[in-house]
Amino acid sequence: MYRYDEFDHAFVSERVAQFRDQVERRLAGELSEDAFKPLRLMNGVYLQLHAYMLRIAIPYGTLNSKQMRMLAHVARTYDRGYGHFTTRQNLQFNWPKLSDMPDVLAELATVEMHAIQTSGNCIRNVTADHFAGAAADEVADPRPYAEILRQWSSVHPEFSFLPRKFKIAVTGAERDRAAIQVHDIGLHLKKNDKGELGFAVYVGGGQGRTPMIAKLIRDFLPEEDLLSYTTAIMRVYNLHGRRDNKYKARIKILVHETGVEELARQVEVEFAKLRDTELRLPEKDVQAIAAYFAPPALGERPEGWENLARWKKADEDFARWVKQNVQPHKNPDYGMVTISLKPIGGIPGDATDAQMDAVAEIAEEYAFDEIRVSHEQNLILPHVALADLEPVYRALVAAGLATANAGLITDIIACPGLDYCALANARSIPVAQEISARFGAPERQAEIGELKIKISGCINACGHHHVGHIGLLGVEKKGAELYQITLGGSGDEQTSIGEIIGRGFEPEKVTDAIEKIVDTYLGLRLDPQETFLTAYRRVGPQPFKDALYGGNAAEAA
Amino acid sequence: MIKIWRETGVIANDPWVIETDEVKAAGEQRPLLSLDALIARANESNDVGLGVVITPFDDVGRLEPYLSRLEIVAVSFPAFNDGRAFSQASLLRARLGYTNELRAVGDILIDQIPLMLRVGIDSFAVSNPTALKRLEERRLPGIPHYYQPTAQAAEAGETYSWRRKPSPAA
Repeated sequence: MYRYDEFDHAFVSERVAQFRDQVERRLAGELSEDAFKPLRLMNGVYLQLHAYMLRIAIPYGTLNSKQMRMLAHVARTYDRGYGHFTTRQNLQFNWPKLSDMPDVLAELATVEMHAIQTSGNCIRNVTADHFAGAAADEVADPRPYAEILRQWSSVHPEFSFLPRKFKIAVTGAERDRAAIQVHDIGLHLKKNDKGELGFAVYVGGGQGRTPMIAKLIRDFLPEEDLLSYTTAIMRVYNLHGRRDNKYKARIKILVHETGVEELARQVEVEFAKLRDTELRLPEKDVQAIAAYFAPPALGERPEGWENLARWKKADEDFARWVKQNVQPHKNPDYGMVTISLKPIGGIPGDATDAQMDAVAEIAEEYAFDEIRVSHEQNLILPHVALADLEPVYRALVAAGLATANAGLITDIIACPGLDYCALANARSIPVAQEISARFGAPERQAEIGELKIKISGCINACGHHHVGHIGLLGVEKKGAELYQITLGGSGDEQTSIGEIIGRGFEPEKVTDAIEKIVDTYLGLRLDPQETFLTAYRRVGPQPFKDALYGGNAAEAA
Repeated sequence: MIKIWRETGVIANDPWVIETDEVKAAGEQRPLLSLDALIARANESNDVGLGVVITPFDDVGRLEPYLSRLEIVAVSFPAFNDGRAFSQASLLRARLGYTNELRAVGDILIDQIPLMLRVGIDSFAVSNPTALKRLEERRLPGIPHYYQPTAQAAEAGETYSWRRKPSPAA
């Protein structure tokens, strides 16, 4: 993974000093909360319902065990002993004191971490496929490009006061695990006919109150033009994106209102003038960054095949965990392990300090010191020998981290909701917990198969409900919480926005409604291989409406 | 009280005035014209040493034929979080090659000034008391390690092509 050089270290410590000065001015009353707000936001500090929240960047979700131990230390020392992994591959602490924040950031800087641009109207943490560098279906590792974009976008003077936040995601495989089509810019790393690397460029995707799927504006952008083309998009957006209404300020609205052809033309005009400038990426620089992401030396471990068969036979729970949470690695002696942060009935994405330490230890001993955070709020060990799966599993069991539900109905994404968030209209976490408990039996989950439930506590859609196979949106109606259900969303290479199925459900009725939807699916699927999403795409919403509303579906709540 | 600050310090007797219906340049003062007024004035005269103030909606490309006749261009920050002028300044300097005074007017706060300097703004109309105090003490809260080339001259050769450090002269 990328390691800081002197330049990066100097930059991050200067940023900490800058923020310390800003916090001191705030605490001294020299800065009002209004004036402080944009400054703290640009450094990941939010004011939540009960306390300040600090969001720490985990660039493209990659971290090592030393960094994970530091997160555990911060959780223990400055927070209440836990942290929350987010859908943007970051980590949030919910209870640190404002006066402690500069010290937290100084500690993080010692392990090459920061909170720069994890919020605010700037270019946010660049995200990537959480299986990058390990997945069998990958054309090339997207992380070197995510790292180049991370560096280039850090405290970019021209693009620090954009109309609205700006999110970039990169994938290097046809199977899109980075949800690039619901990002402001989505980059699909691929090879052209000559075998050269470049990007398909998508622009204008996003969720929130106006979900939109990104549009392809460039089929193949040469690698060397990455920064000039991105600058061209950013400049067009910065100059022409709407600033009169924050709900219409994302680039998706500019794309929609300008028209994708015209927007692409404006970008190309700007790009033509930027292409031959100092923004062109020299091949040697790309190579130098890529070298940091060279895969670890994975020795031959063929004994794993036989051991694995034997272990699975001896332990049904282990076999279930392997089936669900281990995926094929590009090296057949290895696997990619998903550490579920979705215990049955638990809070999606939360991990205690002890759990973070345990993951760090396992990664160090068995997984080449590499950990990933997935946008589905789980952790990943990207390189584990099949021969080590059994001890890894035992260690995860001991830490309460061996839930065998990756990709299943209890692997729920949920935003913090009204339990923490100042924007929320409804709670998300208790709903996730109740659904998880209802469907928690391993046999039942296995029977249902792949099913992604995503829950947002308000229209801002941090829980990605628009792209949930089943999405839940918490709304407030006449002072009470109500949950609107959408079906058929998906955030992969066949991205779709879920459709509202009918009027919403009260908190105590929403789990029953989910159960009806699931039972309807089980009753109509062609065979167990037909997933919920495939079945929904085949039959459409009507059977589900009939089941929920008795063929008398009211207008959407 | 608005003061004009440049890297050399606070400028006394700055003559430039943004003209409105109520305010007109008088005596020694000189007008910062709107873009349309500037173009009209330039087309009907041979005047040089002109000044213009552009709004965030203006296309700075329209200034191109008149750049050699401009002594000052002011870009506007109607609110500190309206960042369009950062791109306008970048275009004026890096694309159009404008070299005379480039002034930031509007809601100018101390924490934004280092970023404004980097896109080539070199003059600041400041009224915020904290900003004025800090500028007078020359305590600018900038970060002297840059991850991107910008209009302000800076030293390359920092490991990767996109990195820069402040020029020794700056």
